[in-house]
Amino acid sequence: MTSPESIETALRSHGFVATGEVATALFLAEQLGKPLLIEGPPGVGKTELGKLWALCHDAELIRLQCYEGLDEAKALYEWSYGKQMLYAQLLREKTGDLLAGAPDLASAVRRLQGQTDEFFSREFLLPRPLLAAITATRPVVLLIDEIDRADEEFEAFLLEVLSEAQVSIPELGTFRAERPPRVILTSNDSRDLSDALRRRCLFLFIDYPDFEEELRIVESRVPGLDDTLRGQLVRFTQSVRKVSLRKRPGIAETIDWALALVAVGAEGLSAAALKQTLGALLKNRDDVERVLSDLPRHR
Amino acid sequence: MISGLERFVAELRREGLSASPAEWLEALRAVERLGLDDRERFRRALRCTLVKRAAQLELFDRVFEGFFAAPGTSGPGSRRSARGAGGSGGRRPIAAGPAPSGTTRKPASAAEPSPARDPTPCSAASALPRAVAALLEGQPWRHGRWRRVLLGPGAPAPRATRAGPSPPAAAAPGADPLRRDLAWRLSPEGERELAALVPRIVERIRLRSGRRLRRSRRGRPYMRRVFRDSLRHGGVPCVLPFRRRRPRRSRIVLLTDVSWSVARAAGLFLSIAGELLRHSRDVRVLLFVDRAVDATREIDDWLRRQPTPRDAWDGGSRGARRPGSGIARGGVSFAKLVSSLPGLAPDAPSDYGRAFHGLARSSKRPGGRTTALVVLGDGRTNRFDPQAWAFEELASRCGAVIWLVPEPWQRWGSGDSALGAYLPHADVAVETSDLAGLARGVAELVRRL
Repeated sequence: MTSPESIETALRSHGFVATGEVATALFLAEQLGKPLLIEGPPGVGKTELGKLWALCHDAELIRLQCYEGLDEAKALYEWSYGKQMLYAQLLREKTGDLLAGAPDLASAVRRLQGQTDEFFSREFLLPRPLLAAITATRPVVLLIDEIDRADEEFEAFLLEVLSEAQVSIPELGTFRAERPPRVILTSNDSRDLSDALRRRCLFLFIDYPDFEEELRIVESRVPGLDDTLRGQLVRFTQSVRKVSLRKRPGIAETIDWALALVAVGAEGLSAAALKQTLGALLKNRDDVERVLSDLPRHR
Repeated sequence: MISGLERFVAELRREGLSASPAEWLEALRAVERLGLDDRERFRRALRCTLVKRAAQLELFDRVFEGFFAAPGTSGPGSRRSARGAGGSGGRRPIAAGPAPSGTTRKPASAAEPSPARDPTPCSAASALPRAVAALLEGQPWRHGRWRRVLLGPGAPAPRATRAGPSPPAAAAPGADPLRRDLAWRLSPEGERELAALVPRIVERIRLRSGRRLRRSRRGRPYMRRVFRDSLRHGGVPCVLPFRRRRPRRSRIVLLTDVSWSVARAAGLFLSIAGELLRHSRDVRVLLFVDRAVDATREIDDWLRRQPTPRDAWDGGSRGARRPGSGIARGGVSFAKLVSSLPGLAPDAPSDYGRAFHGLARSSKRPGGRTTALVVLGDGRTNRFDPQAWAFEELASRCGAVIWLVPEPWQRWGSGDSALGAYLPHADVAVETSDLAGLARGVAELVRRL
């Protein structure tokens, strides 16, 4: 990928209509080796972009879905407690031999010292997404999804990973990535992220597309849709987004709706077709009722 | 190129977008990679590296258009949309240097005059009645964080609101003092009468919050732990664990407009809130007309003064003067206190945009997950630029934002009021056109602590 245009072309070949802004951000993230923080309303393709970036580079995608209460143990590594117990049981005889002849407890402990480290080696380590990305030997895209759902403590913990591409495990030392992973963080902006995290990332904001852009996206993702119906569908979606709704439809919903219209064999946006398929576009009963009650305005 | 970029970053900083040296170097590296021959590409490179928040995009675009004016354009006039996923843009060379100084907005520092008045009223103002109607029905409004609106008992039923706002029901001067419209002409004696009700209101709120705290001491049932806690004895008996609230120290910032139209409500509000909060909480009081001034110590000293008979004399003897003259403590009226604060010009026209901009840019701007920002003001910014982005930035840094509007809700957003631009960034809007409304607003704040 030698230019933003080549990234745009590569994404387009996978069905993603990327704007110049998106392609430039990805290009710079690649060139500067920086994580990319993507913000925007739900359903505009932030996560999809991360997946396709991995696809474009033929890299492994490692995804860390964030949620409230996510901690180091679930994101970085865990010791395989069950495996440690099993090994301890199986090696009981060996341990007995080692401790045979020890006159007192203190000397037995001294003999065990150095042996216990074996139970805290990489054999018993369960790597979670962050460690897996750092220790990967082949190209990796690390997608940290919905970082705004995680706690502030976890955000602070991520700083080392993002800026140094390394993690520290007290028992084993510091792991530094030989090949730093490409990192994408997505946020729905449900809470403000810290300045420290933002400073370590490049920033990209993806908003709802305009009419022309959304038309191109639907054309690319649902090629079987009639041109007139496609225009009506996108115009309707754009109009619905201006209404005060509980959940405004994103691009993903537009595509789902287009697929639904193809599936029911709709030839136009008739009231019947709308009633049948509007559930693919709007995800809340009140929203559906509100839009259906004011249909002429949107069509 | 380096010096030009340095000047651009300095211009951004003057406008309130702080870019660190590391980010500046990063921008330089990005420009090196993408080249200078394509203006749109150059803009994207800077935007991607220097902007860190969606709220800053519009500011960046404005400054960029002013600074790197393309040949044949007149700078800001050709400014682009702030949407992140913009069009591909044409290949246009970049102008050799910054545009003439007149094309960029002047910084709003204390020493310089305020920005030019914006002749266009706030576009979101007309949407306010619809927003209030939607919120009364429990619907969120647009994509802002505004979720609740608390109106007085005279508020229409949710469905009735759709038919159009009814005229404000102003309380006559002789009516229940708690319902008396604070915007009415009121003598210092009348203000004194209202101020005398403050201790009663404070006691009532304290009593209610005490009950609530007692109720919440045990915490809420913690369903996720039911299985784990009950497993030890096979679920017989079943243990119902409770999750206690984590103790946290809340910070409160009271950002209060003390201009002529709001001074009376501000004096009463600070009397109520100050009494409730001054002992136990980390409270900051910022007063503003066209710039924010930290008055925490002065307000605290004022509240510590014991009411004296001289208060009645001080308020009444000089006739009707500034609002707030009758709200006095220990011989010092609120109007007098405000007039004596250095850096505050109570007779200046309100300029919310400049005040918010200055505060968002200052190192002492409020922020933090446990910070509650309480704004008291009518949003009447005399058609100066509301600079809603600055308030959005302030709000985004705070855990909770409560806006108290000392006007009947039917007047919100009318005329020169920029409330339509500000309220989407607040969690709760409270109608505080009378003393009962102020009590409602303070109770809401106490409830959130």
